[in-house]
Amino acid sequence: MRLQRTLKERFGFDSFRLGQEAVIRDVLGKQSQIAILPTGSGKSLCFQLPAYLMEGTVLIISPLVALMEDQVATLKQQGEKRVVALNSSYSYHERERILSTLHHYKFIFISPEMLTVSKVAHKIQQIKIAFVVVDEAHCISQWGFDFRPDYLRISEFLKTLHNPSILALTATANQKVIEDITRYLNLHDPTLHIYSLDRPNLSYVINKMESEDDKTNWLINRLEKSTGPGIIYVASRKRADELAQVLKSKGESVTSYHAGMEHEDRAFVQAQFLNGDVEWICSTNAFGMGIHKDDVRQVIHEHIPATIANYVQEVGRAGRDGKLSATTLIYTEEDIRKTQFIIHEDSPKEEEIRYFGRLRTEGKSILEAAQLVGLSETGMRMLHYYFERFSIDETIDQIKKQSAEKEAALKQMIGLVEEKNCIRERILYFFGENLEVNPEICCGNCQPNHTGMLNLAKREQSNRKWSDWSERLTQLLG
Amino acid sequence: MDFSILLCSLFNHLGGEKTPYAGFHLLRGKRSGQMMQDVAYYGVHPFFGILPKLSKAHFDAAIKELEHKRLITIDEHSILHLTEEGKRLVQFARTSHFDGWNYRGREEIFFARLSLIVQTLSHFKEGVKQFMPVQREPEVQQFVKVFLRNYPIHDPTFSAQLKKELYEALEDSQVTDEQKGVFTHRLVGYQSTGWTWGQLGEQLAVSPLNVKLSYIESLHMLLNTIIGVERYPLLNRIAYQIKVENHLNDSTRRTKILFDQGCSLEEIAMIRQLKASTIEDHIVEIALDNKQFPFEKFVEIEDCLAVQKKSEVLETKRLRLLKESFPQLSYFQLRLILSVPSKGVNSE
Repeated sequence: MRLQRTLKERFGFDSFRLGQEAVIRDVLGKQSQIAILPTGSGKSLCFQLPAYLMEGTVLIISPLVALMEDQVATLKQQGEKRVVALNSSYSYHERERILSTLHHYKFIFISPEMLTVSKVAHKIQQIKIAFVVVDEAHCISQWGFDFRPDYLRISEFLKTLHNPSILALTATANQKVIEDITRYLNLHDPTLHIYSLDRPNLSYVINKMESEDDKTNWLINRLEKSTGPGIIYVASRKRADELAQVLKSKGESVTSYHAGMEHEDRAFVQAQFLNGDVEWICSTNAFGMGIHKDDVRQVIHEHIPATIANYVQEVGRAGRDGKLSATTLIYTEEDIRKTQFIIHEDSPKEEEIRYFGRLRTEGKSILEAAQLVGLSETGMRMLHYYFERFSIDETIDQIKKQSAEKEAALKQMIGLVEEKNCIRERILYFFGENLEVNPEICCGNCQPNHTGMLNLAKREQSNRKWSDWSERLTQLLG
Repeated sequence: MDFSILLCSLFNHLGGEKTPYAGFHLLRGKRSGQMMQDVAYYGVHPFFGILPKLSKAHFDAAIKELEHKRLITIDEHSILHLTEEGKRLVQFARTSHFDGWNYRGREEIFFARLSLIVQTLSHFKEGVKQFMPVQREPEVQQFVKVFLRNYPIHDPTFSAQLKKELYEALEDSQVTDEQKGVFTHRLVGYQSTGWTWGQLGEQLAVSPLNVKLSYIESLHMLLNTIIGVERYPLLNRIAYQIKVENHLNDSTRRTKILFDQGCSLEEIAMIRQLKASTIEDHIVEIALDNKQFPFEKFVEIEDCLAVQKKSEVLETKRLRLLKESFPQLSYFQLRLILSVPSKGVNSE
């Protein structure tokens, strides 16, 4: 009853969505758990609600600054003022001020990197922690492009907190990821809450094409015939800009989005998409996390994501409102090689690791050594982490193992794109699930050439247009 | 504002004596002693720090393009020279109104504050109290929170007052209508989303970087229009501490305090536990920043005049060349002499 009342009063909902209540009960019972809930199922509520029924502060460890800021902004919108994100965007004084009043906050969002700052860790140890949330917990086992060694250090920090209960949240996890999360967070016999990741309102189509031009032409045709709102995922920033340009020249409402853009511009694009000013976003994988748009009708990949987990995460942004939505992946033979190149781009090679080791023993700083070797930012982080723990030979071994894992993950993804039978079934199988019932419109292999998921009516054009400056000023301020 | 014209105009000031990198660091606002000296010697204050985030790749590409268009050449010592064509381009270009020296990227903070204030008022005007703030910098949010606390933000006449100030300041500032368009479309409000640099570039058929440049120029012009002018009380408060008041860095400032107390260079070096050459760098910087600097403490007035004359005749500010003519003077003395304000090179 208490749960229902809080749900209504704080969040304005009448009932829980699938899985939420069970997870919340375990949080209240101080039971550590791994909760796997599909994208769009209201994961945040699982820690927001019990926070109000428990004493102390909830510490949320979150991998992405953008995601963190978004969650803070959302909580503030809900009227919660006792919320803060501890990340590197604060000035020294501001951070000092926050740290000295830390006990005052109900929700503290923090990046794994920040936890390794001893002053910050020390302050957190002094306040009462209700429980700890590890958001997007699959990052722990994702060694991919965004290697985050500090994620692996979380357990070292948790030990100093007198074993609070832990809630690891993610939308994508298979057996291996679950094992990694359990091991790296040092969880003892965690409760598993696993809900089917199947999204019956999404259709999956995967098409192989002959050339880049074919893909572009296919996209031009698709956008002409069907409507968004939609996201087109591409492999690089450059391609995002180029493709947006091409589609725009065909009269489509498209804009590009990637991490090379200024923060303000990215905020503009997000707002335009939410507001319906722009119908299509042409983006790298930077777009999506923390974007709450329920009526995304299409997600199109025009490249091959590095892992099935990434792919599922990205297509999962379609149809959060439960209405029929189409996801399509188009690729060429060449794309397989491209992705292969990208996943190994950041991994230092054996001779580079040895050279790095020599430079370090000569007393060069990590940054200097990395520059001399010519390592990427990610490569430097990797070696920094490993060198603290392993010998050079062990490091080489580790990194080889990692490359092999990435390679294996990509193989699974390639297996998926080449699947001749049901794609949905294959995805679920990857996550250790069996498909019970195929929805009426399932995938490109179950119903070839089915367009039932596509809205073929032309969408109304947005009326956003350039105004005279004084007119614009009047629009803004009256 | 066109980036290639901007570069040509900058290198025109640098008189064929500097490498492309000097220009790169200047645009990014690098604060080294050498840079401070160059800024003063060559009178390039307006360009200093107008693109703090300019990437090396972008800059290099732009330089390549200028070479390709034969507007510049780079000699075997990596020194950049304008061609006749390049000089003509500068001659016929519209004069720019940057004031980099006094703002150094801080104009963006002013705009961020203003944009969050406008976004807030625009939503409140429609009775909407919850929205995703377009500015996420905690310091900007904090500033706006404190700022708005003092005003009746629910009162529509308040947003009308801000609008009036903005309208008049934009008119007064002499920025072009296109610049006014860019400025107002970077602002956001209730159901009015912002335009990215790319979208603005398409609309105006120029490159995104050129849009950004003309936006920065317009901010400098706007700030110079409002700061200290009574007609714009709200904008003045929003521009609080935006103009750089103190052009010296901390270490140099500490040296200045000792110098002003009458310490000799040797004493300062000893007290501060720094090398004599570092203190000399500081002194040159202090001299550059102060028209009333007591040069006579270090150089004879006759030497000063002679060096200045020679510099004019040789058309150079290069120390090595001047040193050949004045072997009796130290490099430190030469640098000081060159920092004596001669003719109107100062931005103020």
